Amino acid sequence: MSLWKRLVIFISIMGPGIITANIDNDASGITTYSVAGARFGYSLLWTLIPTTIALVVIQEMVARMGVVTGKGLSDLIRENYGVRSTFYMMCILFIANMGTTVANFAGWAASMEILGLSKYMMVPLGALSVWFLVVKGSYRSVERILLFACLLYFGYVISGVLARPEWKEVMYGTFVPQVKWNPEFVMLGIGIIGTTITPWMQFYLQSSIAEKGIQKEEYRASRLDVFIGCSITDIVSFFIIVTCATILFPQGIRIHEASEAAIALKPLAGDYAFFVFAISLANASLLGAIIVPLATSYYICEAMGWERGVNKTFRDAPQFMWIYTVMIVTASLLILIPGAPLVLLMVLSSVLNGVLLPFVLLYAISLVNNRKVMGEYVNSGIYNFIAWCTIGTVIVLTGFFLVTVFFPAAA
Amino acid sequence: MPFFGELFVSEIQKKSVLDPRGEELGKVRDLVVVKGDPLPKVSALIIEKKKRLYCLLWDDLNIFNKRIISTKIYGDAVHLYEYGETDLLIVRDIFDKQIVDANGARVVRVNDIRLEGFNSEAVLLAVDVGMRGIMRRLGVERGGDDLLKLFRKRLPYNLISWNYIQPLEPRLTKISLTVPRQMVSELHPADIADIISQISQKEGESFLKGLDVETAAETLSELQPDVQAAIITGMETEEAADIIEEMSPDEAADVLSDLPEGKAKEILEHIEKEEAEDIQELLSHEEDTAGGLMTNEFIAYSPELTVKEAMEAFRRDAGEVETVYYIYVVDADERLLGVVSLRELLLSPLDAKLSDIMETKIKVVPPETDEEEVAGVISKYNLIALPVVDSDGVLLGIIAMDDIIDRILPPAAKRRRRKV
Repeated sequence: MSLWKRLVIFISIMGPGIITANIDNDASGITTYSVAGARFGYSLLWTLIPTTIALVVIQEMVARMGVVTGKGLSDLIRENYGVRSTFYMMCILFIANMGTTVANFAGWAASMEILGLSKYMMVPLGALSVWFLVVKGSYRSVERILLFACLLYFGYVISGVLARPEWKEVMYGTFVPQVKWNPEFVMLGIGIIGTTITPWMQFYLQSSIAEKGIQKEEYRASRLDVFIGCSITDIVSFFIIVTCATILFPQGIRIHEASEAAIALKPLAGDYAFFVFAISLANASLLGAIIVPLATSYYICEAMGWERGVNKTFRDAPQFMWIYTVMIVTASLLILIPGAPLVLLMVLSSVLNGVLLPFVLLYAISLVNNRKVMGEYVNSGIYNFIAWCTIGTVIVLTGFFLVTVFFPAAA
Repeated sequence: MPFFGELFVSEIQKKSVLDPRGEELGKVRDLVVVKGDPLPKVSALIIEKKKRLYCLLWDDLNIFNKRIISTKIYGDAVHLYEYGETDLLIVRDIFDKQIVDANGARVVRVNDIRLEGFNSEAVLLAVDVGMRGIMRRLGVERGGDDLLKLFRKRLPYNLISWNYIQPLEPRLTKISLTVPRQMVSELHPADIADIISQISQKEGESFLKGLDVETAAETLSELQPDVQAAIITGMETEEAADIIEEMSPDEAADVLSDLPEGKAKEILEHIEKEEAEDIQELLSHEEDTAGGLMTNEFIAYSPELTVKEAMEAFRRDAGEVETVYYIYVVDADERLLGVVSLRELLLSPLDAKLSDIMETKIKVVPPETDEEEVAGVISKYNLIALPVVDSDGVLLGIIAMDDIIDRILPPAAKRRRRKV
């Protein structure tokens, strides 16, 4: 096969992996990276390498399932493990993703505020446009907007380079693992993995690959798509950490929010860095606010056997449209009501995501090894060993994370 | 006669099966189904005791209802059971799977199954696809009902009769009736395409194969290009050629243009020569131009023909052609001279010549015209079809109004079915 032909095949296949991985850097992800950079400088950079490997291993299996079976993950779980586990899983997924949606609207509100726009105007406006896009829009327009929005992430790369980091130290921090036995350090390290590998994105990736109808013969191109997507997402995270580590860390500035990072950057790195951080945050938050509720209503309807689809109306697919609408309305209302327990909800959401992740990964790996489902495409022996190790590590770390959330003093 | 009345399978899952002494033989794990007349029936129960599975034949049962299941035989007479691929089991193979509701033309998921006593057999009467089924499986049906009563509503039963369902898995298809197949065939191809676009590609393939060639061809042309290509690629060349041959040349060209070159060539070789040539010619044009949109099936007669002769010829030719509302008038070199609408033809005196009644001021486009422009011309002059001519005025083909509408406003099944 000529190089040219391979390239054409790749371009037609690419998309799901890259878009999924990019949306993974949503408001909570950006917050974690900014905080990690500002608090510990370059010393957490190395965690990105094992995180990327884990992400690639897991996403590859999920993508393979999508290609081979042509079905979504919630579809496969329902068909192989019955209604009970699926139902409870979907309930938890709904609440967890509700929290993620709130986090994304909060990110949107915060980025609008620091740009000088009132959240009481911009949150309803954002919610309304997100809602309209799906309820009234066509898929083509949605996809174009998404792909364009993915490009905006490169703003972080530029600001990272412009920050003039000490490249030698950056390389050292990236390739030489260092551990500080400090509860905050450990928690942030685990947090980086936690925000990168989430339950909903496994569902999202598999569905979008199944939807695209990628054939087994084209699977290699799809694997490349996943690989590139995972790399891009971690390159973006890398530059967020580098920017904050270069500019904020030496000054000893502590931040708790992604928007605080943007404000703190303004006097030190100038307006450009401020704008890149503010606008990229707004962009990432809004992307998350579109995808997460939409994805959630898809998986739930897929698992329950209800009508679904962007092209359907409230009459044809009431459950689908209502789940989507309720998520967006609730999330934006929670942001606007003063004194709403936002932090509690977000903590709850990360706890539920943490509880759900082991189940999702265990279902995924047992499905991918099920010959009845996957035929000859089950994991090979060595790959299976790597996959089990990865999943085992992620599960143990998630367990640690849950412990630190419940017993902050013990950590 | 062990079974009267009716029950849901989920109501007897994990239920104890008692022998004549009242000792427990095991708990119900699954039910084996075989083809029956008129409906599939239960042939055996699979029961579990101490992690071992046993097969309990239907004829050995004494009582079978939602409260009591008991046998005529004792524990030493039941046989061990091993899961096999050949048996069809309700819980393993039917529960939670997707099926097609041929009545409502939609894809649904099986939440529960209703059995009914019929001639002392338990037959599969209906499939529960509603919320009630899910709640019953979760064990909260009554709770949900009570909750809704507070709002003076009732949880609706959402059952589909087994007669109306079309399973997607080949093994399941064997035990179902031929009726749903026919019902599916009676659906509009656009609705069938909608169903196919909602299920996985493999299922779509086997679903399409089950249709008659004509319906399959019409359905295929309603699908999105990627799905078309994937399904055709997965088929045997012979089968694919049969379906493609049934399509009109422009639609066939659309499908073939999305296939890998080798496969397209292979299929073309299996198609009747004349038709293959038509398709080949269309394939040479860009997809989004007039040439790519047109079909080379149209009605064209010589100007010398009288209305009477033209009508006779029309009766002969019109069955094969999709767009028959315009009769094009061409000279011996196939150059377009004029057009006669079907209405004019019917209203004109029988002895008039076509050259006398034809309209000579006609709108035409060259094959390289962009699709937007084609749509503009059709819309502006209120045409049903627009002729495409080359620089010498030779009539190459026509673009029918419905083909251009499909390009601008694709039907649901053609639109990318994506979950963003």
